[in-house]
Amino acid sequence: MRVELSVNGDLYRRESEPDLTLLALLRDVLELTGTKWGCLTGDCGACTVLVDGEPIVSCLQLARQVEGREVTTVEGLAGNGALDSLQAAFVSNGAAQCGFCTPGMIVSAEALLRARPSPSEAEIREALSGNLCRCTGYNKIIDAVLEAAGSRGAAA
Amino acid sequence: MAELFVPQTLDEAVGFLESHAGSATPIAGGTDVMIDLRTGGVRTEWLVDLSSLGSLAGIDLDGEQLRLGALTKIRALEVDSRLARRATALVEAARVLGSVQIRTMATLGGNLCHATPSAEMPPALLVHDAVVEIAGAAGERSLPLADLFAGPGRTTLEPGELLTAVRLRIPASAAGSCYLRQTVRWSMDLAGVGVAASMEVDGAAIVQARVALGAVAPVPLIVPEAAEAVVGSELSPATALEAGARAAAACSPISDVRGSADYRRAVVSILVQRALRIAWLRATGDWPEGLLAPINGLLAEEPA
Repeated sequence: MRVELSVNGDLYRRESEPDLTLLALLRDVLELTGTKWGCLTGDCGACTVLVDGEPIVSCLQLARQVEGREVTTVEGLAGNGALDSLQAAFVSNGAAQCGFCTPGMIVSAEALLRARPSPSEAEIREALSGNLCRCTGYNKIIDAVLEAAGSRGAAA
Repeated sequence: MAELFVPQTLDEAVGFLESHAGSATPIAGGTDVMIDLRTGGVRTEWLVDLSSLGSLAGIDLDGEQLRLGALTKIRALEVDSRLARRATALVEAARVLGSVQIRTMATLGGNLCHATPSAEMPPALLVHDAVVEIAGAAGERSLPLADLFAGPGRTTLEPGELLTAVRLRIPASAAGSCYLRQTVRWSMDLAGVGVAASMEVDGAAIVQARVALGAVAPVPLIVPEAAEAVVGSELSPATALEAGARAAAACSPISDVRGSADYRRAVVSILVQRALRIAWLRATGDWPEGLLAPINGLLAEEPA
């Protein structure tokens, strides 16, 4: 079965198994390995990507079901190799330990900031509640999102 | 590996499911089906992708009639401000289902047809007298939502039938509803106990009430005798306590990692009292419009 997907602004046409997940397509076919292969049951959020700007877990998403829609992965956030303000805030706040959850955290936080540019801490915790950090470094992650919201607000 | 069939019309979907009964599984948001496929809980030759049937999604509120398409995303229910004011229990159930990502994918019809005893949406829909619309090769039919559930993971849908919509009655005034739940974690957890209540008030008296429970029986339960305990007068601690006791007596919880049967019965009684209280405050205009309750219904002025 042929699948046609728009990922980070590029259109890809590939032959794929009919029940291929978006996660498998992104990582194994398109070699976009920023999106992580975690629990495969939708619980950990490491595979979070945006579809038309909304966060979903790509491990439970059939690739075929997102044809005609815009997929954004963590690779799509950095412009010309430069980190965006949210990614930079993760670096400056030490919001990554082992780093495995980081792409999913950043993509979920990006979705939040697009919808609510000045979220409260409670709103950030709610938005990230589907992303698990096994190193339990949540406080610095929340600090990073708060800082990114502040810097984007100042730039706007 | 399963093959994928993508129907473009409801007739095509129903026809395919009918002719492939036993070997085809409908998939919408996929948040349950994909896990079932991976764990071996579902084996199927065909996945029937319903996501192209756009006409099955949508929230239509017309006077007191609310119609929710089966493909409506849980996230769409959660963020609908009309529902927050008029059918608050639906929003309070939607907001605690899974995570933002799961709610963005999962559909109302899927949450009902997976028939998980602890599912969030059924109790909230039951207190709004929900009726489900069903399409099949033999035509359409409808039935009260409570009659959809046959047991854990089982519905009364015939092979080839699809749930297409849920119809509800949303009283226009002097009414309130509430959904509360008890969980081990605040997020990404299944309900240990789910409780919904609704009521309509005339003057200072409750004229109609509903109480429904999730996660404490093989199927979601309506408990008419609990609701009857509060009808006919204003809500008092005594009538709410009686309703809670009747609800606890009506359920048949199991003991598992989310709590013992005895604990769950005790929580049912408490959450029924809290849900009735919040529904009462909403119905009498003493609750800020659209404000959601704490997830377990514990209000600041109450003793802990």
